[in-house]
Amino acid sequence: MRKSNYAFHLYMVLFLLYMLLPLVVMGGAAFNDSRFPSIYPWQGWTMRWFIDLWNDGRMWTAFGNTIAVALAVVAISVPIGTAAAILINSIAGTTRTVLYSLMVAPILTPGAVIGISTLLFWNRLHVPAGLHLSVLGQVSYIAAFAMLLVLARLQSFDRGLEEAALDLGASHAQVMRRILLPHLYPAIGAGAAIGFFQSIENFNVTLFTRGTYDTLTVYVFSKVRSGITPTINALALILITFTLLCAIAYEVRRRAVARRG
Amino acid sequence: MSAGVELDNVTMEFGSFRAVDNVAVNIQPGEFFSFLGPSGCGKTTILRMVSGFIQPTKGIIRIGGKDMKGARPNQRPTALIFQNLALFPLMPVWENIAFGLEVRGVDKATRRAKAEELLRLVDLPDAADKRVSQLSGGQKQRVAIARALAVEPSVMLLDEPLSALDLKLRQHMRAELRAIQKRTQVTFIYITHDQGEALAMSDRVGVMSHGKLQQVAVPQDIYNNPANGFVASFVGENNILPGEITGEEGALVTFTTASGTFTARKGPGVSKGAKVRLFLRPEHAKLSTSAGAGNSVAVEVTDVAFEGNFISVHAVDATGQAYISEARNDGSSVIPARGDKLHIVFDGANAVILTGDISAKDVDE
Repeated sequence: MRKSNYAFHLYMVLFLLYMLLPLVVMGGAAFNDSRFPSIYPWQGWTMRWFIDLWNDGRMWTAFGNTIAVALAVVAISVPIGTAAAILINSIAGTTRTVLYSLMVAPILTPGAVIGISTLLFWNRLHVPAGLHLSVLGQVSYIAAFAMLLVLARLQSFDRGLEEAALDLGASHAQVMRRILLPHLYPAIGAGAAIGFFQSIENFNVTLFTRGTYDTLTVYVFSKVRSGITPTINALALILITFTLLCAIAYEVRRRAVARRG
Repeated sequence: MSAGVELDNVTMEFGSFRAVDNVAVNIQPGEFFSFLGPSGCGKTTILRMVSGFIQPTKGIIRIGGKDMKGARPNQRPTALIFQNLALFPLMPVWENIAFGLEVRGVDKATRRAKAEELLRLVDLPDAADKRVSQLSGGQKQRVAIARALAVEPSVMLLDEPLSALDLKLRQHMRAELRAIQKRTQVTFIYITHDQGEALAMSDRVGVMSHGKLQQVAVPQDIYNNPANGFVASFVGENNILPGEITGEEGALVTFTTASGTFTARKGPGVSKGAKVRLFLRPEHAKLSTSAGAGNSVAVEVTDVAFEGNFISVHAVDATGQAYISEARNDGSSVIPARGDKLHIVFDGANAVILTGDISAKDVDE
């Protein structure tokens, strides 16, 4: 018992080191006064990479584009995913299988394929590439994530509640708004969050569809090609810190809610 | 405003399965009517047809004299109380109760007032802002009743609403339901497989088996004058003896069984030569130390169960036929011991000859 506990702790330490050490090294490099993103050799503390980053107009444009695309993706894919989940949940047989496969297929398709397909399809319709195509391309697979989450939540929905509401005189629209959607909100929220982050980190689809616009991932990629500097590390550190703060805020709120009972 | 419900030769088929078979009954406005039967007898299907979730294959359902064909659940003056109650878990109690008003566009202050009024009616005055998960089983029950009453239905449909409660609470809620029904004068259609519930609460009971309505009568008649073997055996305990009618003796018939020849009343639809059985209630089967002049059979006591207010004696005769005799524990009857040799005697007017299959006992949901 004691021994296995010790082994378990050792495993946890090694596992966390494996997960976090690269992040620490990468974050540390953001403060190293060296032209290359590395902590060795240590050339002394500096904030200049953060200042460089702050003054990089192209980075700010890319950042703005990324957020705009992510918001648009969430706004489109969550309603599509939710509607698809409700539809798929209420039918059976071959139609259900076909619809489900159609929705899930983009998750299994390589991002580059989605990107190229999106570009070719809209090109044929004489729609030029740009961030709007990035949004459409990303929606095609991010909507599937939203659908899967909502579909799982629907499994725990008691159809009796729907019948009870109808029996009390509610229309189907009222049942949807007052009974079904409130039950689905946690899954819809989770779908929106996952969709948002999926969109931010997307590179493959965006690369092919972006036209001349930059997003953060594309910007980082172009930096790698044109000579990488620790500004990228500074950017990464800011993103990690932001994510951690969000996670902590969420956890604090969750505990507060749990305490209230 | 209460309305009658008329089932005019209603049949419901699911594929080749006939769940409800040509049921005809006229339920009066303000009546407490129960459909009683084992699970799978079609009683829940009847309820779902009246509430509009399914449409009958054949026949007409009229509520307040109006044909309900094509009318959907939200267009009928009925309110259904579901077996699992189906309270909305994400709404506080008062919003649950006022939901029917909310979807009708009633303003919030009026809804709140109505919900509080109904909570007083069901004896839960302080529950308005509680969450459903904070309520006990009995309280949820009351909220479900209040929610159904809020839409002022002409007909309340109840699908075994007490089956999830423990015995004490169930008995208490029976009285409550009955009182609420009398107070509101709404027509209640109650579905149950519990004969005690049906007999204790109803103005009339319809006993069902295999989709067919076997008998519709007031509770006393269901118990005392069952229409056939199924009703007799499903409702209450019986001594059941197979045999045949061998003669007529005034108002009674003589009935010959392996255990002897007895006199008994002739039930409805009984004719000579039909497959029939003799039914005798345990409270009419008296134990005696000596053979009686009339119906009498020698038995040996196999088991004595002391139930508190009554004593149940199990016995068996020479042919192996089993008997149950029940006596009130009022001090007048001697409690026999296992192995005692006694006689079961009964009055021919208390035994009845009936046709039809007998029910498999203890069929439970």
